[in-house]
Amino acid sequence: MIVLDALLQGILMGLLFALVALGLTIIFGVMDIVNFAHGEFLMIGMYTAYWTSLLLHVDPLITLPASGIVGMLLGLVSYYWLVRYLLRGPMIAQLFGTFGLMLFLRYLAQFLFGTDYRIVQKGLLVGKSLSLGPFIFDWTKLSAAILSVLAFSLVYYMLHRTKLGKALRATALNKEAASYMGIKTEQMNALAWMIGGGTVGIAGGLLVNFWYVYPTVGLLFVMIAFASVAMGGFGSIKGAFFAGVLIGMVEMLFPVFGHLIGSEFLGPHFKFTIVYFAYFVVVVLRPQGLFGWKH
Amino acid sequence: MEALKDAFDFRDFSKAERIGLALFTILLLVFPWLGFGAFVRVVMIQFLLFSLFGMGWNTIGGYGGQVELGKAQYVGIGAYTVALTMVWWKVPFWVSMPIGVLIALGYSFIIGYPLFRLKGHYFAIATICTSLVLQDIFINWKLVGAAKGIELPIREHPDFLFMQFKNDVHYYYFIAVLFYAALFYMNWFRKSKLGYQLRMIKDDEEAAESLGIDARWCKIKAYSIASAFVAVGGGFMAVYNLYIDPYSVMDLDLSIKIALMSMLGGAGSMWGPIIGSAFLVPLDRFLGSWLGAQKGLIGVDFMIYAALIMVVSAYQPRGIWGIIEQFRKKGA
Repeated sequence: MIVLDALLQGILMGLLFALVALGLTIIFGVMDIVNFAHGEFLMIGMYTAYWTSLLLHVDPLITLPASGIVGMLLGLVSYYWLVRYLLRGPMIAQLFGTFGLMLFLRYLAQFLFGTDYRIVQKGLLVGKSLSLGPFIFDWTKLSAAILSVLAFSLVYYMLHRTKLGKALRATALNKEAASYMGIKTEQMNALAWMIGGGTVGIAGGLLVNFWYVYPTVGLLFVMIAFASVAMGGFGSIKGAFFAGVLIGMVEMLFPVFGHLIGSEFLGPHFKFTIVYFAYFVVVVLRPQGLFGWKH
Repeated sequence: MEALKDAFDFRDFSKAERIGLALFTILLLVFPWLGFGAFVRVVMIQFLLFSLFGMGWNTIGGYGGQVELGKAQYVGIGAYTVALTMVWWKVPFWVSMPIGVLIALGYSFIIGYPLFRLKGHYFAIATICTSLVLQDIFINWKLVGAAKGIELPIREHPDFLFMQFKNDVHYYYFIAVLFYAALFYMNWFRKSKLGYQLRMIKDDEEAAESLGIDARWCKIKAYSIASAFVAVGGGFMAVYNLYIDPYSVMDLDLSIKIALMSMLGGAGSMWGPIIGSAFLVPLDRFLGSWLGAQKGLIGVDFMIYAALIMVVSAYQPRGIWGIIEQFRKKGA
C-alpha cells in the first residue's frame, strides 16, 4: 500500500518535473544548446506567482498566466541579448554563457528579494486535500499535475499539428534545409526560447503552491531537468515526459524501498542522488537516451 | 632526460611571452617582501591554487576539448585523504598527499572508462552528475564527518612534515613550488605525444581514430592527469584551511569555477588558465569584500562577475588569450 501511495505521489511530482524538462528539451532540440539558466527561469516563475498573488490578493492559480508571460519574455530577452551571440562560439562557450546567465539571475533575485524562504500561504487549494479511498492527495499537487499534463498536451499539439510547430520541428531536424523552405532560423530559435521560458514559468507558478522559493532553488530542478532530458534523449518531447515521470517515481519510491528493507543508508537524503546515478547508468548504456534521435 | 629538457625548454614561445614569464617569476619570488597585507597574500595563494587547478583541467578540457565539469570531486578526494589519514592515523602530509593522488588516479580510471563513451552535452552533464553523487555521499557519510566536515588537528609547533605553519608565507612558497612544477609539466605535456594526439582528437575525432589513435584511451589518460593535478591542490586546501567539508571542496560551483577560469583565460593555450585565474580570483575576492560588505548590495558582486562571464563567452569564446592574440595579429 505504501508502495502504491509513493508511486502515485511520484507520478504527480514527475508530471511537474516533465513540464520543467519540456522547455529544456525544446531549446536543445532546435538549437543544440543546453540552458543552464533553466532552473533560474523556474525560480523567476515561482517569484512572479508569489508576488502577484500576494500583491494583488488573488489566488495563485489565477496568476499562472503572469508566470507564463514573464517566462516567455525572459526567454526572448535571453535569446536576443545573449544566446544569439553565443551560437557563433564552440559548445563550451555556450555552456558558460548560459551559466553566466544562471548566476546573474540567481543573484539578481537575491539582491531583489533576499534569501528568505517564501511559499504561498493562502489560496483556494492550499492545505486542502482529496482523499480517494486510502490515498490522500494534496490539491495543490494534484492541480499542478493536471495543469502540467494540459500544458504538455497543448505544446505537443502545437508542435505536431500547427504550421508554426511543424516549422519549428523542421528547423530542429535540419536547419539549412528548413531555411531553404523559407523558414527563418532566427525566428524559430526565438520561438523555441519563448516556449521554453513560458512552460518553465508556468511550472514555477504551479510549484510555488507547495514548494518554498528562494534564490538558489533552481539548481536542484535544473539538475533533475537535465537528467530527465538526457534520459529521454536530448530534443525528444515524448522522452522528456516519460523520463520526468520516471524520475518522479524513482525519487518517491527510493526512500520507501530503503524503509522497507530497513536500511538507513538508503534513506530520503539520497533520493536525488539516485536520480543522478540513474542518469549516469542510462546514458552510459544507451548514450542517445530512451527516445533520443540526436546526439 | 629528453622529457626534462622539453619541460624546461621555452624557446618556441615568442620573446614577449618569455619576458613576461621571467618578470612574473621575479614578482612571485619577491612578493612576500613587497609589504602587502594579509588579504592580498590570501588572494595570491588562491590565485596560484586556481592556476594549478586550471592547468590540470586544461589537459582534458583545453587540449582535449572535452567539456569537463566535475573536477571538484577530485579536489574532494585529495583533501579528504589528507584530512582523514591525519585525523585517524596521524599520517604526515608528504605521505598522505601522494596517496590521495593515487586514489584520485584510480577513481578517475574507474569513472573515466564509462564516462568517455559519452560525447558533447551528455558527457558534460554526466561529469556534473558523478561529482554530485560523490558530494551527496560525503554529505551523508557519518564516518567522514558528514555535512559538518572535518577539522584537522593543530600541531603545537610549526611542522614541516604536516605542513602546518604559523605564517602563511610558507604556504605561499609551497603553492608557488607546486605551481612551477605544474607549469613545467604542462610545458612538456603540450609537446608530448599525448598532447598532440589530444589536439588531433579535439579537431576531428574520426580522422584521429582513422590514424590509429585510440581516442577514448587518450581522453581517459588526460582525464586522469587532470584529476591528479586537482587532487594535489585538494591536499593543499586541506592543510591550508585546516578545515574541510563537502560544500567547500566538492561543490558544483568549484567544478565550474575551475573550468570557467581556464575557459575565460583561453582553453588549450599554455597561459590561458594562469591568465584566467589571475583575472577572476582577484575580481571575485575584491568585489566580494568591497561590495559584499555593504548593506543592501548583497549579490551585486556576483552579478558583475556573471555579466562578465556572459560578455566574454559571447564576444570572444577563445577567452582573454584569444583577445590578446587577435590584437597581436592585427599589429603584425
